[in-house]
Amino acid sequence: MTREEILAGLFSSEEITSGRVFLTKEQRSQIGELSREQVPSGLVARYVIARDGQVVGRAYVDTHIVRTKRESLLISLDADGSLRRIDVTAFLEPLQFQAAPSWYQQYNGHPLSDEVYPQRAIRAIAGATLTANVTNAAVRRVLATDLVLEGTAR
Amino acid sequence: MTRFKADIALQVVVSFLALGLAGFAGAQVLEPTEGPLNGSLGDSIAAAVAAAPVGAGAEEDEAEDAEAEESSETETAAQEPDVAELERQIGVLAEEIEILRSGETQVRLTPDEARRLGLAPSAAATYSVDQGVSIAGYGEMLVENYANKAGTKSDMLRAILYTGYRFNDKFLFNSEIEVEHGKEIYVEFAYIDYQMTPNVGLRGGMLLAPMGLTNEFHEPTVFMGAERPVTENKVIPSTWRENGGGIYGAFDKVAFRAYVMNGFNGQKFSSGGVRGGRQKGAKAKSTSMAFTGRFDITPTPGVFFGASLYTGDSGQGEVIVDSTEYGVKTTIYDFHAQAQVRGFDVRALFARANLDDVIQLNQFLGKTGSAGVAEGMQGAYLQFGYNILSQVVAAGNTSLMPYIRFEQVDTQDRIASGFTRSLKTDNNYFTFGVELKPVAGVVLKVDHMWVTNDAGTGTDQFNVNLGYAF
Repeated sequence: MTREEILAGLFSSEEITSGRVFLTKEQRSQIGELSREQVPSGLVARYVIARDGQVVGRAYVDTHIVRTKRESLLISLDADGSLRRIDVTAFLEPLQFQAAPSWYQQYNGHPLSDEVYPQRAIRAIAGATLTANVTNAAVRRVLATDLVLEGTAR
Repeated sequence: MTRFKADIALQVVVSFLALGLAGFAGAQVLEPTEGPLNGSLGDSIAAAVAAAPVGAGAEEDEAEDAEAEESSETETAAQEPDVAELERQIGVLAEEIEILRSGETQVRLTPDEARRLGLAPSAAATYSVDQGVSIAGYGEMLVENYANKAGTKSDMLRAILYTGYRFNDKFLFNSEIEVEHGKEIYVEFAYIDYQMTPNVGLRGGMLLAPMGLTNEFHEPTVFMGAERPVTENKVIPSTWRENGGGIYGAFDKVAFRAYVMNGFNGQKFSSGGVRGGRQKGAKAKSTSMAFTGRFDITPTPGVFFGASLYTGDSGQGEVIVDSTEYGVKTTIYDFHAQAQVRGFDVRALFARANLDDVIQLNQFLGKTGSAGVAEGMQGAYLQFGYNILSQVVAAGNTSLMPYIRFEQVDTQDRIASGFTRSLKTDNNYFTFGVELKPVAGVVLKVDHMWVTNDAGTGTDQFNVNLGYAF
């Protein structure tokens, strides 16, 4: 499925605007401070989903290295900036290192907060600690990116 | 002049993106395609145009300024389409760069195709195509100091490289090449996976026996303690690997593996357990085959429990007494559970091994008295750990976890008639230690293990383990 198809199903809407955002140096710095994670790229894939003209959600793609291979996550947010769902769009490590869908579902409904860490609101994955850590970093990075781009960061 | 500078700025941006794309894609030539241009990109270009410095023309006389302004307006009108085209091309390049970086498959399943395969969106996404080699590894250095023995021993216990190769979206090779004690080279596993569906696959080659908590997940950053639990050394002889094949599967809350593999070589069993019977896939006697499998349930993330089973003959057609061949059927099972919640880490395991034809095996091997192989062996442990930095935001991924482990192992829990129990084979272990993970892939573990048995020969030991995994 394409990203657009995933988002159309998730938000029950075909009003999807895709775009690539070029972060400024200041924005990257702000995202890094908010997320407490590194922001390795200034190029952000961003989707805005509307229904009847009203924005109902946004989505971002975060690509990162797990061990030596990449994982890409399509991270969808509700209009209020809380996490709606995570979809794995690419996982190039052996599948034994991939988390189960229910593990990703732990993030649903969470805004950016100090609770969004393994061993706090997020439980670990036995035998796949690296996957848990890099996925958590991606989630925090996306939640912070949304706050900065929406101008709602405090 | 201003228009000219702006064009240069845009061309620089385009060139930069093109270079980045070429570097990422191995100088792949891209065909421009239609693509959306977002507002942020347009804003960036507008900002670049506005920021372009005014040149020396600012100091020319008014007549020249008027002429230049008129000329500039004419050029601007003529070049508007070019600017729009550049904007479009930048958008296309940015999109291509981002897609290439993502590693997402270029061959996408339609929703109908995904539904026919019974796949949720996330599961469908794992149909990615990425060929090539992957490398990872781990290692551990262990220092042991014994209470009742002279000297301290340090050992580069393991240095491992994982190498794998993804042939396509269905076939995968995975292996672990190990150097033990700085000099002994082993293949710990090497297998081919055929991923039939995103949830189920076939596996063949040298496989890890899917038993217990440690055998398949034996990286030092995963198991608790400077040394692996003794139960998973003597009753489940990790790292236990043999040649075979079978099926594996993982659904959201359930995972299973079921293999047929070559059995133990029972002639190497001892009063200390079945560990010596491992053939490690090296010219393995395969007359006697065995079944092994496991089933795990994860009711909620961070918590799982399950059971494992191994059963098969260990005689390999060679245990013959009075012209009768004995199979030496060996059955090992375990129940295990693990919970990692809010910084707490609790793990428990019970394992038991039952052997048939033990009298004949001991007779064949010439073992008598307390040296005989037992009919029953068992071990169990319970571990607690708590990451005291788990609720400290500033700690990030750094972990500091004190832990304790209670363990009891008896490799002669039930002995055959005519044999005697050794008081040394029934041991109790109490371990207290602490592990520090400054980052997730590096661990320093320090612990002390108190060992007791009825013979009074238990030797306490102090251990330090420095491990890594990447």
